[in-house]
Amino acid sequence: MKKIFAFLILAGVSLILTQMSHSFDFGGLLEDLTTKPQPKSPPAKQPSSKEPPPEQGEGGLLGLGEALGVFDKKTSRILQKSVGAVQSFQPIGLEEELTLGGSLALEVVHKFGGLYKNPALQNYVNLVGKSLADVSDRPEIDYHFAVLNTDHPNAFATPGGYVFVSVGLLRLLQNEAQLAGVLGHEVAHITKKHALQTLKRSKMLSGVSGLTMAALDKDEGLFGQLINEMSNILFTHGLDKDLEFEADKFGMEYAYRMGYHPAGLKEFIQILGQSSSSKSSIFLSTHPGPAERFQGLSRLLPQYKGVGLYPVLARRYQSTVKGQL
Amino acid sequence: MQIALFLLIVLGFANAGLAETLYVKKSDTKLQATDSAKSEVIAKLDEGTPVTVIKKLKRFYQVSEPGGKKGWVFKFKLTSKAPEKSSGGSGELLGALGGKQKIAARESSSGSSIRGLTPVSENHAKKKGISAEDIKAVKEMETFQVSPEEMELFLKEGRLGEYGQ
Repeated sequence: MKKIFAFLILAGVSLILTQMSHSFDFGGLLEDLTTKPQPKSPPAKQPSSKEPPPEQGEGGLLGLGEALGVFDKKTSRILQKSVGAVQSFQPIGLEEELTLGGSLALEVVHKFGGLYKNPALQNYVNLVGKSLADVSDRPEIDYHFAVLNTDHPNAFATPGGYVFVSVGLLRLLQNEAQLAGVLGHEVAHITKKHALQTLKRSKMLSGVSGLTMAALDKDEGLFGQLINEMSNILFTHGLDKDLEFEADKFGMEYAYRMGYHPAGLKEFIQILGQSSSSKSSIFLSTHPGPAERFQGLSRLLPQYKGVGLYPVLARRYQSTVKGQL
Repeated sequence: MQIALFLLIVLGFANAGLAETLYVKKSDTKLQATDSAKSEVIAKLDEGTPVTVIKKLKRFYQVSEPGGKKGWVFKFKLTSKAPEKSSGGSGELLGALGGKQKIAARESSSGSSIRGLTPVSENHAKKKGISAEDIKAVKEMETFQVSPEEMELFLKEGRLGEYGQ
């Protein structure tokens, strides 16, 4: 009887421990972390006592619309009522994100050389990019990847799933794992909604509690100002440093999840830092310095155990990309 | 004996309470017969489907789906994040204001008619002097598709994803 009793206790304890041990799986742990880290960022600007509170709706986006004469007072009041109905800024919906992101994608194509028209290359970049998006933390939206026809080594992401990589950058890379690192970084900006987070904190939207399609559709002037603001953030000033480091971290993670050697992004940062063409790269002018990013990625890399034999796919990259440039 | 039975029941409940539930990230996720990408596909799971974890290996989890089928899923196609309530209208705010909410497996644009280049975007682009060629290029970028078969071959040849180590 005692033996049966002891056996049952042991069996039960072992079952519980087995279940608990599952929680300490590294990949799973990182996946859980994907929704938890909140990037350090400056606190949102609080309206000063001189500024009207959001619910009065005199300032901000809608007030500006009225001032510009695009809204009449009645329309303005209706919109103010809808956006002012809540205290804090509401999440920007997918439709609004896609509208802003689509317009910013047009800005990228317009400003950075147009698209490099090569179906084989576009297909390859889409295969690498979409496979990464599938294992990202936001696989449910559509992602679109394209190659820019410029020799400057650049890469961009705009909200809603648009990712660009330039011919100049593809020339610098040596293997597919490096490309996966770069595309992973850009996909991470979209999964973590970095541009939208930054926009919400911008002075332009202070006093506004939400951004809706109704507001965007109604006022082209305001829409243009939003696009200009976001263009400045993405292409001139750059995102907050911490957001870039977060994109590095998750870019490496997504490449690892897909089965690439996770050192690809770190290697690319090193290559870019040493390249003479890097001076013309937005990747450098709007991002933290390569040394800082290299160090950050070097600190994270040892967490990935047993990846020594993970593929870098240099031959596939060379045969697919180099022959097309 | 009675104590032993009592303990067994208590431990059984405790164990059941620890059973982990994960959710399918994206529709058409494969439930396979073994922990190999080459094994038979038992079912294709929809986005947001809850699955109970039975066993965890390095890159595959053995799970059971709500219909009772057991199989293996590439673990990075699963998430601990439960489907969220999302608005039914355009944008979170309008949905909330209308009081019309629906349960959705996160936001999803796949296969929907939502596109980035709305008339607002196009008009804005034209006013800014962005050429028709550039607008066409972004539209082509949006409609460019990779077939599931092509993706499967790409992963298989590169030993990536489900085919990885």
